[in-house]
Parts: sequence; structure tokens; C-alpha cells
Amino acid sequence: MTIPATEWMSEIDDEPHLLEAYQGSLPRWCTGCGDNAILAAVQRLCRDEGLTPEKTVFVSGIGCSSRFPHYMRTYGFHGIHGRALPVAEGIKMARPDLHVFVNTGDGDCCSIGAAHWIHAIRYNMNMTVMLHDNHIYGLTKKQVSPTSPRGLRSNTTPRGAYLEPLNPLTVTLGVTNVSFVAQAVDWIPELLYDIISAAFHHKGLSFVRIIQRCPEYLPNLLDPWVQDPMRTLLLTHENGIQVSPGLAKVYKNQVRHDPSDLNKAREVASAEDPIPVGLLYWNPAVPCYDVIRQSPQLRTPDLIRAGLDSELDKFTIWPQDEPKRGQARPRARPS
Amino acid sequence: MNLEHLDLVTFHVTGSRPASGLDDVGKLTLKPALLAGYRDLTRLRYDYPLVLAAGETGEECLRSVSATIDDVLKQAAPGGLEGEALRKHTLRLEREIRSLVAQGAKATLRALWDRAAQDLASRTNEPVADNLSRARDALTVDGEVIDCDATAPAKLITHAWAADHRRKARAFLKDVNTLIVRLTDILRADYMKSSDARTADHLKASIGTSHADVFDFKALSRVLARTAVEGSLPETRRARINWALSVLKSQRFYPDPDCRPQGETRTEPLSFTFESGAAALAAFRERLPQMVELAKAISIAELEVENRYREAKHDPVFSHFDEGALGPKDLALFPSYLVCLRLRPGDGAQSASLVELLSTGLPVKVLVQIDDILEGATLAEGQFAFGVKSLRLATMAVGLNSVYVLQSSSSNLFQVRDRLIKGMAYPGPTLFSVYSGALLGAADTIPYLSAAAAMQSRAFPAFAYDPGAGPDWASRFAIDDNPQPDQDWPVQGFSYQDENRQRVAEDVAFTFVDFVACDGRHASHFARVPRARWNGAMIPVGEYLAHPPERVPERVPYLLMVDENDVLQRVIVDDRLILAARRCADMWHSLQELGGIHNSHARRLLEREKKRWDQEKERELAALRARPQPAPAARTPEAVPPAPAPAAEARAPEGAAPAPKPAAPAAAEAAEEKPSDDPYVETPRCTTCNECTQINPKMFAYNENKQAYIADPGAGTYRELVEAAESCQVSIIHPGKPRNQNEPGLEELIKRAEPFL
Repeated sequence: MTIPATEWMSEIDDEPHLLEAYQGSLPRWCTGCGDNAILAAVQRLCRDEGLTPEKTVFVSGIGCSSRFPHYMRTYGFHGIHGRALPVAEGIKMARPDLHVFVNTGDGDCCSIGAAHWIHAIRYNMNMTVMLHDNHIYGLTKKQVSPTSPRGLRSNTTPRGAYLEPLNPLTVTLGVTNVSFVAQAVDWIPELLYDIISAAFHHKGLSFVRIIQRCPEYLPNLLDPWVQDPMRTLLLTHENGIQVSPGLAKVYKNQVRHDPSDLNKAREVASAEDPIPVGLLYWNPAVPCYDVIRQSPQLRTPDLIRAGLDSELDKFTIWPQDEPKRGQARPRARPS
Repeated sequence: MNLEHLDLVTFHVTGSRPASGLDDVGKLTLKPALLAGYRDLTRLRYDYPLVLAAGETGEECLRSVSATIDDVLKQAAPGGLEGEALRKHTLRLEREIRSLVAQGAKATLRALWDRAAQDLASRTNEPVADNLSRARDALTVDGEVIDCDATAPAKLITHAWAADHRRKARAFLKDVNTLIVRLTDILRADYMKSSDARTADHLKASIGTSHADVFDFKALSRVLARTAVEGSLPETRRARINWALSVLKSQRFYPDPDCRPQGETRTEPLSFTFESGAAALAAFRERLPQMVELAKAISIAELEVENRYREAKHDPVFSHFDEGALGPKDLALFPSYLVCLRLRPGDGAQSASLVELLSTGLPVKVLVQIDDILEGATLAEGQFAFGVKSLRLATMAVGLNSVYVLQSSSSNLFQVRDRLIKGMAYPGPTLFSVYSGALLGAADTIPYLSAAAAMQSRAFPAFAYDPGAGPDWASRFAIDDNPQPDQDWPVQGFSYQDENRQRVAEDVAFTFVDFVACDGRHASHFARVPRARWNGAMIPVGEYLAHPPERVPERVPYLLMVDENDVLQRVIVDDRLILAARRCADMWHSLQELGGIHNSHARRLLEREKKRWDQEKERELAALRARPQPAPAARTPEAVPPAPAPAAEARAPEGAAPAPKPAAPAAAEAAEEKPSDDPYVETPRCTTCNECTQINPKMFAYNENKQAYIADPGAGTYRELVEAAESCQVSIIHPGKPRNQNEPGLEELIKRAEPFL
């Protein structure tokens, strides 16, 4: 605020938000779907942080998880398959004042959107990315995704999936400029909330892979992990996630992991059983592309219009420039 | 004492020269020996001339010509022999520029460069033009070049102020222009919802000319009318936004670069440079209502663009928004007021009004330039405290506590540019007290040397007081910019050839007396002693001043000076000047103490604590001595037994010892985990999967975190509880014991519930 007094005056009207204030339309996810847990955690985060709905935007691609923006009473963009991240980057670039969240699935992010995913990590723009990883294409009724386990029979792999699954954590941790990588599971909501909260507070791209159940198409896939707390490895650290005494009683398999250690993070990420849960890597010093490229120029309507015109002119064919016989086709008129 | 020496002593005590034997230095051209190497400054690479770099902010706004040339050479000249010619030519050009500036040339660096390059090319047969043109291409800085003369402090301070003003303007306009755009957006969005915006003509105008013919705008208007959004801005909000917009657009505190539409008349921004403190104060008072209005408009605009203006709550606040509402942080957003003054004899009243101005706490930046610190030091006034007058203003300002004070001679301004920039950015008042060294009417003095000598000799010591740097003197006050700040006088190595052509090196202190010796007006305090009369009772001034005054004067202080031919001379000094030098040293000691050097309080405390410590140790030693000496055999068993104890302690955790400790928590845990007869849900572990709420939404409900709990155990059957427990994927529902013993199939249900108890 330019005038210090505005700060306290803008808070005069602050009233505590209720979780319901962030609730959009009724979720259409299947009963028992892990997406519900993520939605509840995110709505809780919005309430606890007092985010104003008009300053918050959820961007998604296509898939079960990508229905997320519909269920948030904030701004949202339910976009193009695999393109949640570039859309979110555009939003962040144009409106750095907005809180940008991205909800993407294992198919959306790791398959069709893989190129955007890698570059988004490298761009490290300030946003919270949640990868809802249920290891299957659920919206289109069971086809393998890049993270499906080998041998999984599906509509596209009736004889079972041929390849070992892709590990989104090791991929992310291998990209230049990675700054925040965490893993959560939908069946430990307390940690899910803590991890998403840590991701939200990180300045840069925070990547949270959330392993979630699909009760419809992979009903028993994760049962061994859900039912045996020893098969979950909690990563604890004073700079990472701290486990409450109540939770520690149930989840006794814990290890102290320093999130500033990238090599160790890569090692932890490679281990899939027990499932590591917590903050794997955190480096707040990585520069953000949205900060580096912030334009000092004021976005006046005239400037925006001129920019749009010059872009559109590149594709406009001017009728008066129609070529005469034997001449080359007219080129786009320079702006 | 022989008669010859008596002459010297007599001069020292009385200041009167005998008819013969001691020379009047007024007729000789002498200068302190340490300054012998500085006859031609154009041959030296030092801070001046300075480039007042145009368009730069921060420390970069001030550059020395030498550093700029160094940068150019780094860029343009290849390493090794290849770049040697370019380096040589450019350095010659630098000397040429220095000469031009010393002759009084006033121009920008590029203009001076071109002139110097031309002069150089015309005087030499070497092909310099090509090299110099390549070097010039690497020149990225331009701006007025100034030498260290009478106008330098004002030019330099004004330039630094303008740079800070630009920095402030940039930040302020960025915010204000954004607010203007966003407020305009609100009004435009409202207009787009109006019926005016949906008229066929308006729609046509918004399409452009190329394809306008293919649209039916009347039809489009009709379609849009059907889908029109109800409601528009409340009239009070619109009026408020319009008011804020008009105030923001008409502000004159900073120039408005590009935000205003073309054709609209621009108003000249207000000026913030003044020739007197009173004028600055009057302008501030006159502009205060506009500042209040602008701050209010910004605040309202900030609330409006965030849609957080609530009339019921904010109207009363803004109706009382007046001068009292402007805090120091608000004032810091507005430009500071620059006042440049030259303190002249008899300006006492102006000093008093300046102190009053500084005490208001307003953001004024005052330069007080002092050209003469030795004026008024005559016997007639009975006053030998040279420099007191000029120092008074700065020390008074420090006494005000909230004023940023920077004192420095102009020769040193470039070195303290970081403090200067900080002083400009300081939100409150700032005083720059600068000694120019440019004595009016004294043609033969070199201002840079006078200014540097004043600082070297402690006659005009540099100090900085930054109230924003911390809560105590240690963080606020600094005298580090002075040479050798922990010494009474800075000591320099000095070497010369003696009459046998042997090299002699000695350390020479540069004292207040040296500084006075540079000033021809005070020649009467000195007398040159011919070499034949030099004797062992003459001692250097620095050494003389280090001792307390002698009751019976026997030794005479002398100063090493050089004449035009660089021949070393000894010049004795009279006692009145020595007295003034002692006063100067005394004032320097006070400054040292404030700056934490040789602080008397700290010394006393240290002595006291040391004494106490010594006494304590003495007592302990005495007590030890008084204790009867135990037999050596008896001491061993005493020392041995404790040893096994820690060893046992260290081993304990490895053994069975810790086992009983966790027993208590384990018992408590067991008690907690005892199956309950009432049904319950481990709510914090609920994953919000809707399984249970779909079985019975009255029995299971979500709490404020959207996690399930049993809202009413009586709202459903035991069967539903058991089914919910079975379907819960994270197994956190515990059905307890059935409440209704008559429920059908209870036996089977109890069996199914067992795993979840």
C-alpha cells in the first residue's frame, strides 16, 4: 500500500471467512474419491489464509482432477488438456497479484502436458501446483496413464501395462531451477493440509504430488499402504513438515530429511515403498521468471490494445494487398 | 639558553619577530612538506573531476572521471600489448580533460572528451583518433563534469537530490498511475454495462472500419440488450472514484510522464529547491492541504480498486482525514525540500532559523556550505577557537536527535557518496555541512587541497549521524571517514634527500597548524628559521602537541615546509596558534568519544571492572593460600570416586534403565485406546470421501474443516454405523456398542463391528 493508513483501513471490514465461502458447485466426483480430500484441504487453506476469492484463481487441464475449479468459489480456468501450466503462467504474468493454484492429473501433467510441466518447473513462477495422481485415466473410464503400475489391465492395455511407471518426483527433481517438491497422500488429511500450506507459502513454483485413490477403477490398488501405516515414511524436519503427536502415534515410520539436500531428495524420491510423505526439496533462493520478467511498463488499455493489434496483424490478410497474378502472396503487414 | 635560541622562544611566546634572523613566511611561498607532491593536480588521478551522471539513481549518479575512464578501458582495451596504445592514448586524454576542467571548462563528459580528443590529435603525430573513438564508444556515462571549486558542493548535492527525487517519482508514479488505470477500468466496466454502450453506433465504433459492413449493429444491439447485466455503480461510489481520479491526475508533486491522454494540458510540477529555509518552510505549509488531499485520494483509490471501501466504516475516517493523519511514512512519499546555503560571516540569524527548520522534522535536505573556517580567528576578538562557528550548526543538528547529519569537506564528498545518498533517502530532515576550501578572493589556493587539508588536520572533521541506523550512538554516529580516526593527527611517511644526498624517511603528523600554514592570512603566526640556526630544541609540531604545555618554554615547535624549489624549511609556530591547535585536538577528542574511540566512559568502566576482577582474584588467591595444604596421599581417593559415577550414568541409557520410563505413556496410551461403547469417528483423519455422509447424512456430518463426525448417534441404526465403518476407506469409524438392543440381526452386526472397535 502506498499510504500506510490504507492497510489498517482495509482490514476494518475483515471478517473471518467460513469454509463454505469457498465452496462452489457440488462435487461430482465418485464417493470415496481422493479428490474430495484435496478439495477439503484446499478450501481449509483458503479459509485459514483468508484469501479473497476474487484474488484467487484455480487453473486446471482435463480429467477428473481438473474439475477442481468448478468446486471452488473463486476465479477458475478449466482449460485445455495438458495446458494448465502455460495458462497459469500467463495469468501470473499478467496478474502477479493473484494467488494461482494449478490442479492437474497424472494424464494431464505427465503425458500430454509433460513438456509444459518441465518448462514450468524451470520457469519457477510463483504458484502452487497439485498433481492429483490416481494412476489412471478415470474420466474416460480406465485407460493407463504414465504413472499406472506395470501389469495394470485397462481398456488400452488389456494384457496389462508394459512399462514401469514414470516417477513424477524424480522427473521434477531433475529439472533445472526446481525449488519446491513435496509428496502427500490423500488418506492422511492432516499432512495433506500441512504440505499444501507449505507449498502455498513458498515463493516460486511448488510442486506437490498427491497420491490418491480411485475407488471406481483401482479400488484396491493402494489398500496395502492405506491399511499399514508402516508403509508410509514421514519426512520430518524443522524446515520441512513437522508431525503432530497424535499422528506420530499412528505413523511411526519417520525419518529426518533436510529439504535443502537435493541429492538426498532424489534418493528419497526414488524409493516408492514405503511411500515418502513430506517435503523432499526446498530452495527459496531460486529466481522466479515472473519476477525477472516483470515489466515496469504500466498496462494501460492503450498498451494492451496496441499489443493485441500487433499480434493479430501478424495473422491478418489485408484484402487490398491481394496479389496480382504471378506475384507472391501478401505477407502480414508490419505493425 | 643561547641568545639565538632565545629569539626563537621569544617568537614562540610573543609572536613578534626580531628585526633579523627569522623570515616572514608571508613573503615566501611555502607549503606544508606533506603537500609537496600536490603542486599540479592535473597530473594526478584522484576523485575529482566528477561526472554528475545523468539519469542515474543511487550511488551511480556520482562517478569520478578516473573510474569512468577505467571502466572504458576495461571494456574497450584488449589485455596485454594489444590494448597498450589505446590505454596510453585514453589516459592522455584523461589528463587533457583534467586540464580543460582545471582551466574552467564547463561541459558534459562527452563534449569534453571530443574537445580533448581534438586538442590531442592536433598536437601529436600519433594516430590517436581511431583509438579514442573506439574508447568513446565504450563510454556509457554522460553528464556535467565538475571540479572541486566553490560551486561543487551545491552542484553535487543538487544532483544527488535530483537523483533521489527521480527515484521517489518513479515509485510514486508507478503506484498512482496503476491506481488511475484501475479506477478508470471500474468506471469503464460500469459504462460497458449501460444502455449507452449497447447502442448500434457505439458497437460500430468498437469494431473498427475494415469489416464494419458485414455486421448488423442494430441486431447486435438488440441481442445484447436481452443479455444485459442488471445494476450499475452506486452514485456515491462513482462520485468518490471520480473525485479520487481527478485528484490523482492533477497532482503536481511529481512530473506526470505518460499517463495523461494526449492533448490534455499538463500542469507544471511544483519546484522543491529553495534558497532559504524560510522559503522552504513556507512552501511546505502552503502545499500541506494538497498533500493531505492527495494522500486521501490515494488511500480511497487503494480501497476502491480492491473493492474494500465500506461507506459506513470508511466515510467517518476520511471525513476527519487532515494534517494530523499524515505520518512520517506518508510524508516520505512526497518530494523532499532542498535548500542550498553558503554560510557567510554574520549569518547567525540564518543558522538559528535553520536549526528551527531542522527541528520541525519535515523532509528538508539542507546543504550548508562553509568557505572559510579560519575567519574571525584574530587576536582582536580574543578568540582562537578556529572552526567552532562552522562546527556549531552540525553539532546542534546532531543534538536534535532526529536529523540526519553529514559533515564532510568537499574533497571527500565522493568518498562519502553512500552516506550522501542515504541522507537524501532519509525520511526526515538532513543537514549536509560541507567545507568547500574555496576561499573567496584567494586566487592562489587550490580548493581541493584546502578542503582535503581541513579534513586531514581535524580542522573540519568528517562525521555522520544517521538516526535511522539504530537506537544507539554506536550504530548512528560514525567518524570512520576521517584518516586514521584513532589518532590525534594522521601521520604520513615523508622522505627527502638531505644535504649529503642521502634519503631520509620520517613520519610526519599533519596537524591543525599545517592547515593554518596553507592560509596566507595567518602568516604572522609563523617564522622561517634559517638552516644555520636549526637546533635540537626545535621539535616537530606533532610531537610538541602530544605533550602538555611547558611551564617554562624551552623547546620550540616547528613545521616542515617546502619552498617553490622543493627545499625543505623549518618554520616555527607561535604559541597562540599552538593553543588553537590544542583546542582543535580537544574538539576532535570529543568527536572520537562520540564515535566510540578512546571513550572515557568505556575506559572508566573497563578500569573499574579490571580492578574488581583483580581484587576478586586476589581474594581467591588469598583464600587458597590460607587453606591448609592437604597431604598428597589423601587427595587421590577424593578425586577418584566421582569418576565411575558419570561413566555409569553414560552407560545407563544403553542398558535396561530407560525401560520403565516409557511404561507410563504406554499405560496412558492403552487407556486411550480402550474400546468405547459410544460410536466415534477419528475426525482429523477423515478424507472427506462422502461414504458415511451418503449412508446417513443426519448421523454423519462434516465439521468446519469438512471432516466427518457423528452428529447424532441416535439418528440411524446400528446397521448403518457398521456399514459406514466397513465402507470407510481409512477405517476411522468406530461403531461402538449397539444402543437399541432390539434391532434385528444385531448378533451378526456385532460380529461385523468387531474389527472396528
